[in-house]
Amino acid sequence: MTESDTVPFGLVVDAPDHRVGPLTRTDFVRYAGAGGDFNPIHHDETFARAAGYPSVFGHGLLTAGILGGYAASWLGRRNLRRFTVRYMGQVWPGDTLVLSGEVLRTRTGPDGVTEVEVGLAVHSEAEAGEPRLVLRGGATAVYPSSDEAVHPSQPEGGRS
Amino acid sequence: MADRRDLIGHAYTPYTFPVEHGKVREFALAVKDDDPVYRDVGVARSVGYRHLPMPPTFSAVTSHWAVRDEDVLRLDLRRVLAGGAEWEYLGDVVAGDVLTVRAHIADVQEKTGSRGPMTLLITEYDFVNQHEETVMRVRSTVIEMGEQ
Repeated sequence: MTESDTVPFGLVVDAPDHRVGPLTRTDFVRYAGAGGDFNPIHHDETFARAAGYPSVFGHGLLTAGILGGYAASWLGRRNLRRFTVRYMGQVWPGDTLVLSGEVLRTRTGPDGVTEVEVGLAVHSEAEAGEPRLVLRGGATAVYPSSDEAVHPSQPEGGRS
Repeated sequence: MADRRDLIGHAYTPYTFPVEHGKVREFALAVKDDDPVYRDVGVARSVGYRHLPMPPTFSAVTSHWAVRDEDVLRLDLRRVLAGGAEWEYLGDVVAGDVLTVRAHIADVQEKTGSRGPMTLLITEYDFVNQHEETVMRVRSTVIEMGEQ
């Protein structure tokens, strides 16, 4: 593949930031039920404090899942080939997540397929607190040579 | 802390789970994803899917189906942190598909970080559909901090 400066038609280089939250304990419980991870550290305050935490905290996979939706909305769900996350810090009840993404590199293969690699990040904002990096991620998306087959779009502010 | 490096290569009993459209909808709601592709079959078909596609991290729901009496890691949940994960998408997964999950412990690493000793446990999952196509691979890292 060769490096190229162009991104596929319609894909924005810097995805607009998207805010989700503030997250509540109910959000953590809903995720526990949907995902099936009932580690009490995410819903049982007594257990979380006994383990040395100030309160329960969100599942890493909840933050990853929210970021996955952002990445899919930006890059186009069908174009996504790889999605990675590394957890950097906890998400506490009351935190608002700020999702961001940027195109890192674009390569075009001999068959005309364009591969786009992006960096992703989630910062967590507490009321009256500085934003903290809680997740660093990345994704790879592949676009066929024909632009008609590409449906990337900007992440919308509509997701609450 | 028990040395669990002898668990590297341990293969879990494979299990099968159906991708149900109610679960797709429930999971999309839980991760606050309001893309109609996860609830409206018409929208899903208009962008080329046979049925509702799975959200990118939907593999998490397999914990509802995994064989329960096979806890070889014996994690202490008070000391467990999620490290990270990687998803590789090799084909479509949509509601109505039936996936078989083959998982094994890929690596166990003992490390010392700023917060003391820790164990990194890396599990790999292969998802194979009803047509014997491997449609997704997931690699997941769990960290168990050392006892204080």
